[in-house]
Amino acid sequence: MEIRPIFSALMRNKMAPLLVAAQVAISLALLANALHIVKERTVMSSRQTGMVDEASTFLLDLRHLKAPPHEENIALQLRQTQLLAAIPGVLGATWTTQMPLTRSGSQSGITHSREVKPSVAASRYYSTDGFINTMGLKIIEGRDFKAEEIAIVNVETDTIQPATVIITRALANYLFPNEVSVVGKPIYWGQGADADSSTIVGVVERLQTTNAQRGVSAEYSAISPARISSPRSDFVIRVEAGQRDRIMAESEEVIRKSHAQPMIIRTESVEKHRAERYRNDNGLAWMLIAVSVLLMLITVSGIVGMTALWVSQRRKQIGVRRALGATQFDILRYFITENILITTLGIATGLLLAIGLNQLLVAKFELAKLPISYLTIGSVIFFLLGIVAAYAPARRAASISPALATRSV
Amino acid sequence: MFSYYFKLGLNSLRRNPILTALMVLTLAVGVAASISTLTVLTAMMSDPIPEKSRNLLVPLIDNGPLEGYEAGKEQEQSRLPYRDAVTFLNSQQGIRRTAVYTVSGAIEPAQANLPVLDISGSATTADFFTMFEVPFLFGGAWRVEDDTAAANVVVISKNISEKLFGNDNPVGKRIRLFGLDYQVAGVTAVWRPSPRFVNVFNNQRGAYVGEEDVFIPFANAIATQKRHDGSTWCMGSKMGPGYQGLLDSECTWVQFWFEVTNAAERTAVHEYLRGFTAEQRKLGRYMRNNKDQVFDVMEWMAHLGVVSDDRKLSAWLAFGFLLLCLVNTVGLLLAKFSTRGAEVGVRRALGASRRQIFNQFFVETAVLGLAGGALGLILSFGGLWLLSQQSLQIAAVARIDWQMFFLTFALAVSASLIAGIWPTWRACTISPAAELKSQ
Repeated sequence: MEIRPIFSALMRNKMAPLLVAAQVAISLALLANALHIVKERTVMSSRQTGMVDEASTFLLDLRHLKAPPHEENIALQLRQTQLLAAIPGVLGATWTTQMPLTRSGSQSGITHSREVKPSVAASRYYSTDGFINTMGLKIIEGRDFKAEEIAIVNVETDTIQPATVIITRALANYLFPNEVSVVGKPIYWGQGADADSSTIVGVVERLQTTNAQRGVSAEYSAISPARISSPRSDFVIRVEAGQRDRIMAESEEVIRKSHAQPMIIRTESVEKHRAERYRNDNGLAWMLIAVSVLLMLITVSGIVGMTALWVSQRRKQIGVRRALGATQFDILRYFITENILITTLGIATGLLLAIGLNQLLVAKFELAKLPISYLTIGSVIFFLLGIVAAYAPARRAASISPALATRSV
Repeated sequence: MFSYYFKLGLNSLRRNPILTALMVLTLAVGVAASISTLTVLTAMMSDPIPEKSRNLLVPLIDNGPLEGYEAGKEQEQSRLPYRDAVTFLNSQQGIRRTAVYTVSGAIEPAQANLPVLDISGSATTADFFTMFEVPFLFGGAWRVEDDTAAANVVVISKNISEKLFGNDNPVGKRIRLFGLDYQVAGVTAVWRPSPRFVNVFNNQRGAYVGEEDVFIPFANAIATQKRHDGSTWCMGSKMGPGYQGLLDSECTWVQFWFEVTNAAERTAVHEYLRGFTAEQRKLGRYMRNNKDQVFDVMEWMAHLGVVSDDRKLSAWLAFGFLLLCLVNTVGLLLAKFSTRGAEVGVRRALGASRRQIFNQFFVETAVLGLAGGALGLILSFGGLWLLSQQSLQIAAVARIDWQMFFLTFALAVSASLIAGIWPTWRACTISPAAELKSQ
């Protein structure tokens, strides 16, 4: 190949090719990192909560304007649970204190021994024996709660710590990294000699925390068997596929009729919780995709513009070459090769820039390290883009008539 | 001469409309991306109470348990337990003090045909309104005696007032709030500091969205056993039963603010905190002996990380993008100018100086830069709209701040002018002899 003459032609006018290479380099650096962030965010926003059928699950949130007294409140909760479960199409309905992805709820510090410091913060679900079933959580060790384990708690007078607990696999792995089986082991709420303890009776495969934060701690959850009388009751309800919207409306009606005193009742689908929790992440991902497309368009326009310029500057030389026997293909090949040289320089610089930018982002924004695959994909994209962009002007160059050489001399 | 060059520039731009459009569009997209992300970022980072922000102070003291504590670790919790909030309220430190926590519940309108209003507000003290410069539409803050007497008085927002009383002045009237009767002391005009710095930690929907519906006296909220609606941090501390158990516990949930008038008073507040925790250590509290700190408003916003990293990330990437657009423009300008060697050669041969050539081409570049900047400004409205689709938080701040807008616009135009210098300089260094010879 005739790389040498192309190269020396490029060296005669360095600035223009350098500018094209710079564009490729900046674009590649931005594109690789943008795609990496997009991927990271989409992976995050598609993480499982542990619920078996999110699309058919919703939350009913009830607030009493004036809370009924303890016993009446507990009785009302039980009656409301039964009423909800009796709606045709409902597969399960359970009282709970919080739900994954809702971004509000309580946390407790947990340790596996009174001496251990510090404790790990886990999302604390209080619910009853129907919770595992209604949510459709998968028990991978041990068992569900038994009805007699449910502690009845009056927040005004009691400080009861339920004797049993179900935790997630992620939490079990953190607390007992070397144990095969954790059922029967105690965990402690807080530290020190007076910390309460509960015995693990079961492990669920997965149950996300209310915040569904970044990282493995998003699955540090513990479920305590309790029924608490408070001015606020939440119910999680799972229904048959396709029935959700109808039953959401119906269940509000059922609950409204269940109690004579005024209440504020609200239903929210898990889908909505998910959309709101990840709204920022999805928004950022879409913005980055849009920017990536623009990046490529601008780079292509830059390459087209520059190649077109070179072609028009060298019309006479092309004519001479054609007159001296170069084929159309030779001319086409000349411009494509020239472009490949420039793009390759751009890609090489771009790879370094991409890694540099990534390190900056890692340091400033807790981003993961850029995997090699993005660099490869980005390089291939810009390599092909370079050839495609150069093709049209190069074709035009190839079609220059040899007669041109004779005309203007 | 300038207008002549201007005309020449326009002519030249018109001669190759596609190339011109491409350059203007590229510049505009880059400018729009950076203006819109920067607008959002600066709006989020802006000072919510500029005249006073250095004089409003948040204390940060660590009452966490010694168990599980590693010395030197940062304080995790940022608020106070009830009893320390009361001590500080009575401390005489600074010129004013206030304690705040979030209460929520319902207002039952007197007219049976109106629906129950689901509301959220703050339990605080009378000084709150002066400290944070809350504007009033009717009436004003409750009296200091109402704080001591834990009276059933309330300040409501304009929004709530209109829902309950239309445009009437409701001061002195009673409303049914949290199941009790409260007398209206005042109605706030729209008060939306951005971010909602006072109790920013507690806004589930985010620091930039929504406003307070009601304010009731702190002492009244405690006396009527209103629980804090929001995170209550009880890590590692055991609690007795009932509401009294919460008040006596080490759980932190009260946001506290001091107001001072100068740096010396700030130091005094800091000293007071050190003295307080030292005193408490003798009683077995504050055993972590962590640093006692005070923050002013902006320090506090930075400490809490109110502006999300995603916003900063977007702004960084937008500037990378603008850089690409500028490089692209430089390339295209270079291409454009280099086809005009003949023109330059003739002009130079006829006596134009390099300076004159430079001026001519620079005017052309400036026209291009201004056009790109102006179009970018228009596009950035679209950019802001797109960004505000991302989240309610952005939607709340994505308003046009003209000062900011023109600053970035000027920045963008000057960036494109700087980008144009190199191609312009190249154009005027053409040697006339060589160009004329090749004709």
